[in-house]
Amino acid sequence: MSEGAATIRTRKFMTNRLLCRKQMIVDVLHPGKATIPKTEVREKLAKMYKTTPDVIFCFGFRTKFGGGKTSGFGLIYDSLDFAKKFEPKYRLQRHGLVEIKKTGRKQRKERKNRQKKVRGTKKAKVGAGKK
Amino acid sequence: MSTEEITEAVNLLSAVESQTQDVTKLVDHLLKKATENEYNTSKGISFLELKYQLLLSYLMNLTYISLQKSQGSSIQDDPTIDRLIEIRTVLEKMRPIDKKLKYQVDKVVRTAASGGTDSSDPLRYRANPENLISKLDDESESESEGEEKKSKIYHPPKLTAMHYEGDETEMDKDQKVLERAKKRALSTSMLRELREEFSEGPTEIRETTSTQRSRAERKLRERTHYEEENFMRFSVSKKDKGKKGKKAKQIISKKFVYDYMKPIFVSNVAKSPD
Repeated sequence: MSEGAATIRTRKFMTNRLLCRKQMIVDVLHPGKATIPKTEVREKLAKMYKTTPDVIFCFGFRTKFGGGKTSGFGLIYDSLDFAKKFEPKYRLQRHGLVEIKKTGRKQRKERKNRQKKVRGTKKAKVGAGKK
Repeated sequence: MSTEEITEAVNLLSAVESQTQDVTKLVDHLLKKATENEYNTSKGISFLELKYQLLLSYLMNLTYISLQKSQGSSIQDDPTIDRLIEIRTVLEKMRPIDKKLKYQVDKVVRTAASGGTDSSDPLRYRANPENLISKLDDESESESEGEEKKSKIYHPPKLTAMHYEGDETEMDKDQKVLERAKKRALSTSMLRELREEFSEGPTEIRETTSTQRSRAERKLRERTHYEEENFMRFSVSKKDKGKKGKKAKQIISKKFVYDYMKPIFVSNVAKSPD
């Protein structure tokens, strides 16, 4: 846990009523330390905006050359239902709200190659069975 | 006319007669003395005396002319006019000399008015010629005598004025370094952005035309602007990654930004014996 040396400032704050959220650019100042993990940033933002950290989604943190300053984006939803509705699946997966099943790259490529050999509606049948 | 006034007039007229007799006697006496060369004029008369004698005679001639004019008689071909012209020209010629003497005359008048002079008065009459000769003349004389005394130490040529640092203590030097670091830290981009955020004035967008980096900077600015508007991040290609690192290395030295920020929080340099 930081000793309070990390400072968070928000820029370009906007309330997006269409998507039921508040969106902003987050600047983190952390001189002499590594980039702060997203979970800590979420907690600090929750304290700043007086919400629970589970409706806060932050992403896209890039550290400036030389260290000390990182900027990223932050979204604060009105409720978790709206968040589940509007957020892309990969970000929800980062919070553990959704499980994306991945079949594996090799499997997908092999399935594709098998489908190449067959024409028409039989392609769907081919995908199901694995030889 | 009353008898009193008549007697008064008679008395006055007799007084005038006696006074004119005295005046003629005095003038004859003076004339005799002047013709017999009793007045020594070998040295000439002094400048100032000449000046006021000329002024007096000018005034006399002028009053005569004005008398003639008031009586209505003509002043054409009057020798008084020639005299006036002559006196006038001499006075004009005397004016530049008078100007040159003005300083001395003023000083004398001032001393006469104030009474006595102070020996240490800087406005004394004569300049001190010893203050005018150059003191370096002694060196040139001694150099010609002793050439073997040339020192072997190399003295660099003095071209421009340089700041003298000999009187600074080490503490002063440290403080100066600290101040400079503080100043540098206060002008980092971080604090500049902080200041912009909280200042109440309008945001300034400065156009700098650095020809080298203008294209790259413009591109980078467009990219960041797009990113911030649309809440997304571009994926950086390998080429751009290399370029960004190279350019950033040019800007920031190997020090971390932390080292820039540190002096702000250090208040005093206390020298402790470690």
